[in-house]
Amino acid sequence: MDRETVERVAKTAHLALSEDELDRYSRDLGEILDYFRILDESPEGDGFGVDPVEIADVMREDVPGIFIDPYELLKDMKTYDNYVRGPKLL
Amino acid sequence: MNMDVTVASLPRLNEKYSMFSRISDDIGTADFKFLFSAKDNLTSKDMETRCGSRILEGYRPAFDATAIEKMRISGGKLIGKNNMDEFGFGTFSTNSAFGIPRNPFDPERSCGGSSGGSACAAAVIEDHVSLGVSTGGSICCPASFCGVYGLAPTYGRVSRYGLIDYGNSLDKIGLISSDPGRLSEFLPVISGKDRKDPTSCAQPDLNLTGKKIKTVAVPREALEGVSGDVLSAFESSLETLRGMDIDVKMMDMPFLRYAMPAYYILATSEASTNLARYVGMRYGRQDGDLTLKFDDYFTSFRSEYFGDEAKRRILLGTYTRMAGFRDRYYAKALKVRLHIISSYKKVFEDHDAVLTPTMPFVAPRFDDISEMTPVESYSADYLTVPPNLAGMPHLSVPCGYDAEGMPVGMQFVTDHWDEDPLLTFAKDWGCAFETRRAEVLL
Repeated sequence: MDRETVERVAKTAHLALSEDELDRYSRDLGEILDYFRILDESPEGDGFGVDPVEIADVMREDVPGIFIDPYELLKDMKTYDNYVRGPKLL
Repeated sequence: MNMDVTVASLPRLNEKYSMFSRISDDIGTADFKFLFSAKDNLTSKDMETRCGSRILEGYRPAFDATAIEKMRISGGKLIGKNNMDEFGFGTFSTNSAFGIPRNPFDPERSCGGSSGGSACAAAVIEDHVSLGVSTGGSICCPASFCGVYGLAPTYGRVSRYGLIDYGNSLDKIGLISSDPGRLSEFLPVISGKDRKDPTSCAQPDLNLTGKKIKTVAVPREALEGVSGDVLSAFESSLETLRGMDIDVKMMDMPFLRYAMPAYYILATSEASTNLARYVGMRYGRQDGDLTLKFDDYFTSFRSEYFGDEAKRRILLGTYTRMAGFRDRYYAKALKVRLHIISSYKKVFEDHDAVLTPTMPFVAPRFDDISEMTPVESYSADYLTVPPNLAGMPHLSVPCGYDAEGMPVGMQFVTDHWDEDPLLTFAKDWGCAFETRRAEVLL
């Protein structure tokens, strides 16, 4: 995979890579994608195997409830007035 | 077993083997029936949970994973969280930010991965059971390298609630122990429907009736590329199986060769979306510079605290999902998975199980691992990946030792939901095969 593509993918994934990392991942990902070529000759199933077994749709009753104390969830987060703190949006 | 003595020796054991990333501060064992440990990607409300990653340092979950909760309700004491490859990304547990577990048979060699700490604890601590997690072979690989028994049940048999996701459609919680009877004892404990995880709610009941494996199919393809020592131990075990009245047949299974690329595409695609949540807010480390702009804050945080293999897999998984590449990689891998599942099921029409060596070689030395390219490292999983991709239950049992005394394992795969014969076989094999315990010197 060329360095420009690696840079573009890294930006999408929110990763900043050093020059050394760009070289290394460019080489590694190229080798890995070459290895994946064998897949082109594989027979296919009839459909998409998103899950390996049948999955049940189980939904709870639409009744409000507290499952985990929200203050317990907030205890290790950076907060301000019980809101989670984050970086500037603008 | 004196549980107090065991717990008191944990810090010294850990100094030597690095099997725990955290040991319980509470050393009291009164009121507990047994001790267990759990891979550090299962949330525990009394112990930090870090998944082998610096990005989760300081994360103290507010709830127990269902599997841990069930073990506690059955009288278990969680003595520690097992060391692991960062988020499960590895075959040798060398990708942990918190030390590398050392093989109890030779500390210069790997325990396997990614549940390396879980297998190490099972091999070193007497009468111990540990919870491992398998995405592409992370229970059977370390069980094989450490000379213990490992069971990865059918996808959905054990609730994934509280399991920190690597690949949602692949992750399975299972058991590792030196005592095969422990697998039968604890699978009923941790399995069952859980409304907190809908993927567990379609499962049929787990009925352990003592059903036996009578016929096994050995794929010829699986024996290509296996080291001489492993092949010799495996072939000797086939003779033992025939002596146990198990019919062994060699077969061609060409579908197996497509499992590796399909697995790595699906696993990294899912991982790259799951890891998008780690941005220096809410979980783990949150000590970044909040004056930075939104995107810059996230990017700086992730670049600093994700390890090398995590970045590699995020990049790969992001690429295979991108517009223009999605059909070639991600969609293709989903179709191939269906082909592999249906091919396995055809084999199970005439055979009870598929049998291979678990790993193509014994536990490698750390020097040799550091020389491996990513493709060489991924290729080591070619025997454990197929059942994981197909969500089928699989079991690794010790089956021999090489000239230097390093353990060899063999792996049985059965159809979806058919754990019963695996557990029966594990107990029978425990009587037929003399397992060696590693000598633990402190």
